[in-house]
Amino acid sequence: MKLPKSLLGAILIGITVQTTTSCNKDKSVKPKEKKEEVKKPYPYKDGCPACGMG
Amino acid sequence: MPEILSAAACNLDANILAACFPLMEESRLEAIEWSFDALYKVEEIPSWFLELLAAYSNEKRLIGHGVFFSLFSGRWRQEQAEWLSHLKKISKEFRFDHVTEHFGFMTGKDFHHGAPLNIPYTKSTLDIGRDRLKRIYEACECPVGLENLAFSYSPDEVKRHGDFLEQLLEPVNGFIILDLHNLYCQIHNFNIPFEEIITSYPLNKVREIHISGGSWEDAPNSPVRKIRRDTHDDAVPEEVFYLLENTIPRCPHLKYVVLEQLGNALATDESRTVFYNDFGKMEAIVKKKNTPGASSFLHPFSPLSPVITGAIIEDDALYHQQLELSAILESAVSCTEAIHLLNQSSLAHTAWHIESWEPYMIDTAMRIAQKWKK
Repeated sequence: MKLPKSLLGAILIGITVQTTTSCNKDKSVKPKEKKEEVKKPYPYKDGCPACGMG
Repeated sequence: MPEILSAAACNLDANILAACFPLMEESRLEAIEWSFDALYKVEEIPSWFLELLAAYSNEKRLIGHGVFFSLFSGRWRQEQAEWLSHLKKISKEFRFDHVTEHFGFMTGKDFHHGAPLNIPYTKSTLDIGRDRLKRIYEACECPVGLENLAFSYSPDEVKRHGDFLEQLLEPVNGFIILDLHNLYCQIHNFNIPFEEIITSYPLNKVREIHISGGSWEDAPNSPVRKIRRDTHDDAVPEEVFYLLENTIPRCPHLKYVVLEQLGNALATDESRTVFYNDFGKMEAIVKKKNTPGASSFLHPFSPLSPVITGAIIEDDALYHQQLELSAILESAVSCTEAIHLLNQSSLAHTAWHIESWEPYMIDTAMRIAQKWKK
């Protein structure tokens, strides 16, 4: 489905702002090794429990 | 068969939206599925996200997917009443082409802190489920559907699931979301052939199919056995694409095929590329199966007579059993302890049939309940 260019632009700005904030925070307080450490064992803890096997 | 649309689960999540963005730019995202009840932590929805929802809503290509209603809680909860009010309000703002929920009841004392687990298939749970589905229909006034559950305690439950879903949906003339990764979990976890499991579902009731990825986990006391879990955090396995190819032709009223993945699993460029490629594979299968000049006939999936909800149906004994089961699963330190506690509980020798539950699935239920408990 075709979306208006103005809407695509607004979405891009919206997700860039959110992503940038998150990246800046990580870069400023965490060394790279620590970023990798937090990936396991349940990296998706705050996601959605959804279908019962999550 | 109507034209089938290729869609993705699209929520207010920077990672999901970033993964979906190239598909939106290329005008390939034909519909979106929105979990309208997952915004409870969001104070204000950005205007651009509302515009995105409105764009799909205006084209009748927005579908709602609830997560937290807890259809089979034995006792009616205030949170369920609030959930319905929210759905009613949001259904006036956006036009959902249909609204769906998950099968099962949520573990956990708080409405948002738990995971859905299976229930006994009895007259009481059937009555509760039908009552709740009618209330959902009253709130959204559009077709209502239920998703098959990935989790089962025994192969017998798996084989009876499709029939029970059909009975539940009858008063609202509703439909099924057939989650093929959930089916894949059950095919693997209980060693049931695809042909056997697929024919146990009323496929003429399927209006939506989900595909997603998941993960493997070691079964307790068995280094060789692996349990498949529907964690929505990885690429779609080839086997699930095979299931998709072989399921679409059997579903005459299928309208949506949806790719689902959790936002937290889409944080890297690599994972977004995999998501993009998975969508491409899914889209190619859908296009191949779409009949040229697809039928304009759409199954209404709407009640054949006015929906009447009377007094709220509850089952206090079921409610206490659910509390007891949740407490055991959330607190047991081992599978052996959980089995011991279950045998001492009010669930023993009842319609729950805990005596036939597979120990490795009890262990999996513990892991799920303890993962989502906060």
